Amino acid sequence: MEPELLLAAAAALGLAVVFTPLRVPRASLLTWGLLGLAGMAAIVIAPSLDLVILILLVLAVLQARLTSNREFVTRLRAPVLAIALLALGLAFERMQGPVVLDRFGAVGIVAGLVAAIGLLPYVHEFDPDESVVASPIPWMAFIGPPLAATVLLQANQVIPSDAGDAFGAMLIGLGLLNMIGGSLGSWRTENDASAWRYSFMADWGLAMCGFGLAIADGRSAALLMLFSIVLGRLPLYLWSRQALREKVPTDRPINLVVAAVLAGSAPFAGFPARVLLLRGATQLYWPLALVLAAGMLLWLPSSLRLGRSMGVPRGRQAVGVAIVLALNVLLGVYPQPLLTLAGL
Amino acid sequence: MVEAAFVAWVGAALVVLADGRRGLALGLVLLTAGLAVLASPAGMAFGAVAIAAGGLVAAGQCLRSGPASWGIMPAGSTPRLIICIASGLLALWVAASVTSGTGAPLRFAVLLVVGLMGARILISHEPGAVLAAIASLALALGVAPGLAATSPGPVAAIVGALIAAGVVFVPAGLARLASIPLADKDGA
Repeated sequence: MEPELLLAAAAALGLAVVFTPLRVPRASLLTWGLLGLAGMAAIVIAPSLDLVILILLVLAVLQARLTSNREFVTRLRAPVLAIALLALGLAFERMQGPVVLDRFGAVGIVAGLVAAIGLLPYVHEFDPDESVVASPIPWMAFIGPPLAATVLLQANQVIPSDAGDAFGAMLIGLGLLNMIGGSLGSWRTENDASAWRYSFMADWGLAMCGFGLAIADGRSAALLMLFSIVLGRLPLYLWSRQALREKVPTDRPINLVVAAVLAGSAPFAGFPARVLLLRGATQLYWPLALVLAAGMLLWLPSSLRLGRSMGVPRGRQAVGVAIVLALNVLLGVYPQPLLTLAGL
Repeated sequence: MVEAAFVAWVGAALVVLADGRRGLALGLVLLTAGLAVLASPAGMAFGAVAIAAGGLVAAGQCLRSGPASWGIMPAGSTPRLIICIASGLLALWVAASVTSGTGAPLRFAVLLVVGLMGARILISHEPGAVLAAIASLALALGVAPGLAATSPGPVAAIVGALIAAGVVFVPAGLARLASIPLADKDGA
């Protein structure tokens, strides 16, 4: 699953660099994107969770050094909290002792992962006017997906089966929190850039629920959700920045189509992810599927709002949006080749 | 080994309590010495050398930047002192009483240093102190694989040492690169 997500991140970087408006300095975008990609590749091939945590520390320090309105120290806080929680969780898993220690370890690893990505309840400080590269968005939509897949894979090797329930329950619990908190925040918040940020959280909520189910359908749903974040929501957010600054909502057909992509409606990638998630939840515990289905309705108002905030893409951006829509339709209609490639 | 764990505690406490470059550097030296000694019996002899080298480079660089003073326990540092003592007692209880098996000093040191450095970064506003705390955190993460039942090899220790040595040099170089305007009118 991790190599596929790494390739998706590389594709997203390519789309961002090629179809960004000409006035944006591509060289710096490409430089920092490639640096992030190199870090992600190192995370994916790292043989142990210890090395993953150390690479995370390097990425956190490098990103915190970028020019920003926020202070260096402030920007480091959330990633360092994540690293400390992951390290403590891993240390608890390695110690011989009562089962409760293993459960504490599992809780620490999940909490650390959530803090690294910047999800509820460990939300990174966000400045809507900050550049995307220096903002918390790369943690959620660029580095986050391969990181989550790698950490969860490595964690499964160190967490004993006794603590597996606590691990899954934490993932599902935090997933539901982010799903509801993210979609409500995306709908109700005043600032459009913040609304986009909350929408990433909502998508992550579904992905975490999928990982927490620990069955094939759940993992498949999580993979498709992460792909829709990296190859759908992230490029669309990048290309919406100009319209967000101009604050001119538009109601063209393209805005409705973008809203449909963001809401996960058919035939886009989010749709099979939601169907698989509901199927997996029904197999495991049907009331969970009921809660998930009710929560999924919350995507509609926020997606319509985000679609309108996108403006009317022109020139290079219009080509980029068309490619993203095509990719999402492809993944939505034929998800099986990707799932087979990921061994699911 | 118990002595090494105690030295690591004193070093970590100094990094938390000091605001001046001399205090931070001394804390890093003591922390490095403690962790390097604890790493050797955990099957990481080469890793211990790397930890020592990385920690000393970080301490040396730390001594060259920031306010030229000790700055240990300035006014208003009572909460930090309480954190140092309380986290030490908590880590001691977990390492010696809750958990079992050999390697209690290493368990104590890893839990303590990771916890204290996390707290230091969360409560601090000074970039110099934060970089010293990050270097200390990297060293602790480098020796943490020694807690595993099987010998972990020196890779994590070497990477941790490289990060500790490198992180204190980061600001100047990257600040220049980052001065490229990343957010123009189009906001990307």
